[in-house]
Parts: sequence; C-alpha cells; structure tokens
Amino acid sequence: MKLIVFCLFTIYCCSLVKASYPMERKKLQEVLRELKMLKHDIPNTELMMNTPPKDIEDCCCLTALTCFRETLLQHFGISGKYQKKLYKSLNHTLTISGLNFCNTETSTTNCSTCHSHPKEKASEFFNRLESLVQRGLSRIN
Amino acid sequence: MMPTRLLLLLCLIGPVFATEAPDVDCLIINLKNVSCTWNKKGTPKVNYTFYSSFFNKKEKSCPQYLTENNMNIGCIQPCESGDRFMTFNTRLVHGKDRFKETHGLKNRVKLNPPTNLTVLNGSDFNLWFYWNHTSPARLHCVESEVRFRTNNNNWGFSKVSPEIQKYCINSPSGSSRYELQVRNRIDEGCGSSDFWSDWSEPVFWGSNSSIDSDSVPLWMTLLYVVGAITLILLVVMLLQRERLKIILIPAVPKPSPILHDIEDWFQLSKGLKDNFKASYNEQVCPVREYNYVSQSDSMNSDDSTSSVSTNQTHCSVSIDVNDPEDLYVPLSSSSSQVPSEEVLQVSD
Repeated sequence: MKLIVFCLFTIYCCSLVKASYPMERKKLQEVLRELKMLKHDIPNTELMMNTPPKDIEDCCCLTALTCFRETLLQHFGISGKYQKKLYKSLNHTLTISGLNFCNTETSTTNCSTCHSHPKEKASEFFNRLESLVQRGLSRIN
Repeated sequence: MMPTRLLLLLCLIGPVFATEAPDVDCLIINLKNVSCTWNKKGTPKVNYTFYSSFFNKKEKSCPQYLTENNMNIGCIQPCESGDRFMTFNTRLVHGKDRFKETHGLKNRVKLNPPTNLTVLNGSDFNLWFYWNHTSPARLHCVESEVRFRTNNNNWGFSKVSPEIQKYCINSPSGSSRYELQVRNRIDEGCGSSDFWSDWSEPVFWGSNSSIDSDSVPLWMTLLYVVGAITLILLVVMLLQRERLKIILIPAVPKPSPILHDIEDWFQLSKGLKDNFKASYNEQVCPVREYNYVSQSDSMNSDDSTSSVSTNQTHCSVSIDVNDPEDLYVPLSSSSSQVPSEEVLQVSD
C-alpha cells in the first residue's frame, strides 16, 4: 500500500514538473493582461518613478522584477482592483521562475539597486515592465 | 577683428561642406540576422566602415556588406533571438567622420514566410491546410494569417492564433478550385513585430477545369450554337410560310370606326353561328279592356254586343327559325283600357 502511494505521488510530481512550463507561460500572459488593464485604468500621469533600465542583464531580471513590484506598490498601492491583481501576479512564484534567466553557475553580475535607477514617467515604467515580461515569454518553451 | 571674422565665416560655411549623416535603418530577419542599410537618402558618396554591437556585447565590424554601384550601402550580421530586447548600437566610420546611432529592435522583426504548406482532405470531408515556420521563435510567439480564394475570385483573409499551424475550409465543393497562402509574425505577447512576413508559396486543391472562371464549358458552347441555329431557322420559316406565321402569330383584329357585324369578331363555326340566329315575327297584340255592362242596359241597346271587363291579354306569335335576317324580336305584351263598347277579341 505504501509503495503504491509513493509511486502515485512520484507520478504526480513528475506531471507537475512537465506542466510547469505551460503554467509559467500562462502566468506571464496573465501579467501582461493585468498590466494592459492597469494602463487603461489609470489616467495619464506625469508621475515620476524609479524605473529599471531598458537593457537588463539576464541575471538582473529578478532584481528588476522586484524593483517594478515595489515601485508599483509605493506609488499606486493595492487599493485598486487592477493594482492589487498585478501586484499579486508579480509576486507569484510562477512569475519569478518564468523571469529567471540567470545561469547561476556563470553569474558574476552586480545588479543596481532600485533607488539607483533614474526616475522615468509612468508610461515608460509600464513599457519597460511589459518588455521584461515579453522577454520572458519569448524564452519559455 | 580679422581672425574673428574668419572664424565666423568658417562657422557659417562649414556645415555646407560637412558630410550629411547617413540614416541607418536596421531590421532583424527571421530572428537570426540583423540587416542594416544606410542608403535611404540615396547611394552614399563614400565607403563607410560599419561597426555594431548589442548591449553588453563586444563591438564587431561588419562580416558581410551590401553594395550598390561598388559602394557599401548596408550590412548583414548574425544575432540571437533574444538580442532584439537589447539596445543595438551602430557606428559608421569614414576617415574622421563618425556617426553613432542607437536602435530599439524589439518590434523591428520580419520572419521568413512559412514553409511546407500542404493540403489534406480530412476524414470529416473538410479541407485541412498545414504549415511550418523556420524561425527560432517559440510556437506560442508566432501568429499567422491565411488568405484563400475560390476559382480565382477575391481573396478572403483569416487570422490564426499562435501555436496553431493549421487551417480548415469546411465542406469544400468538388467542382471548385481552392488556393491558399500563409504569412506570419511575432505575436503581441512576445513583443509583436511591425512587419508581416512575405506570403508563402501557394497551395492548390480542386478541379483543374474550374481554374479559369472566364472560360465556358464545351457543352455550353454547343448549346449556344444549337440554340442560335434553331432561332435562325425559325425566323426563316416564319418569313417563308404564311400559314405557319398565322398559326404562331395570330392576327390581332384592328378596331375600326365603322360598325361591322359583331359576330364576325368571334371565330365561331357556321353551324354554331346559325343556331344562335333566331328570326321570327311577332305580331303586335293590341290589348283591350272591357267594362262590364248590365243586361238591362244592354237590352235597351241595339247593340248585340256584350262586354266583359278584363285585363287579360292573349296573343300568339309565329316564329320562323329559317329567316336569317331577323336578329332580335322582343316579345312584349301590354294592357290598356279599352272602350266598353268594344268586344274582347279572341285570337286564332
């Protein structure tokens, strides 16, 4: 009986591993949809925010993701419907694993802190976040 | 004063003789190569040396130039599929002239057209088209568009979602000819490209005899010829044979102000005509009214006549059915007051 349970559990775990790629892809696609809704929801604002650069090295993508998430929380909060959804999605493990492009064996990169990034307009902030997520989708199987 | 004026003159004339900066235009081809050209404003007058690099990568000189009239007008160099998300730096050098530019190539991608476009008649009696794409892009990053037409008519367009590389035409007609082509580009979710690929090679399915919609089938041509000949013969016969003309095209009676026998308007046989003719003479029957007179009065009178009052009429008529001249003879009877002295007339 124990052996059967163990085998079933192993099969279940293997299926999760194989299914993770589509799950990551679906999660990143969900992030893009929520980002699109938020861009339409908030009015055109001249708000300036710390924005990661256009060019992000592979091993700094997760640092950039954290910066995007925290800056979003700082300036827009999570009171709004789309703000809350987007924040939760950016904090999800599938999003983090989907945007992890770093090969830790060869990584020697020092990534910039969030506050060191120059401030950009809100529209540029959202465009760069969108590019980061699209970059993740273009790499995932 | 003099050096100041010379300096001012140089500043004014200098830009006139300076080389105009060439405008470098770059495009990623099939996510495998970057193609840059700088002949948008015309063939350059000098041969530039081209250097380029993506962000955080080493600058390289151009491995393969594009030329026109022995002048370098562009460069093609390999790249990786993820490089388009990075800034692309270019540098054109000729002598002391150096022109630097930065480019964002995320959306400036043109894929190669789809390949291996095939058609199959499915077990569900539908027409299925399949194709492949040759770029390193992930399947969920490539969206397609098909265009198809039937019998060389107008094209119909249809978008195909990412990850799907097939298209179906429901219940195709066996007598029609179908033609289909496909093109693709990077989907919005992966940073959509501004350019569609070229259309793929077309694939055909259906009857060859229905290829040219302008050509008429042979049986139809024969039908037209036979119909035309029949019509000509009929016209000739109508002109030649009066009898046939009368049967096929009966004469329409012409109205005339002179009143003719109305019976002639109807095409009745002679026997039937005669049966309707009734000629008879009716004699006029005078009707008299007689007043009753008492016997005493009558006996005093020398008149032996006696009278009775009546309002009756009694007439007989004789009808001659053989007289063709009489058309209509109305029968009439009348009653009138007759003098009392008159005796009721009794007919034969």
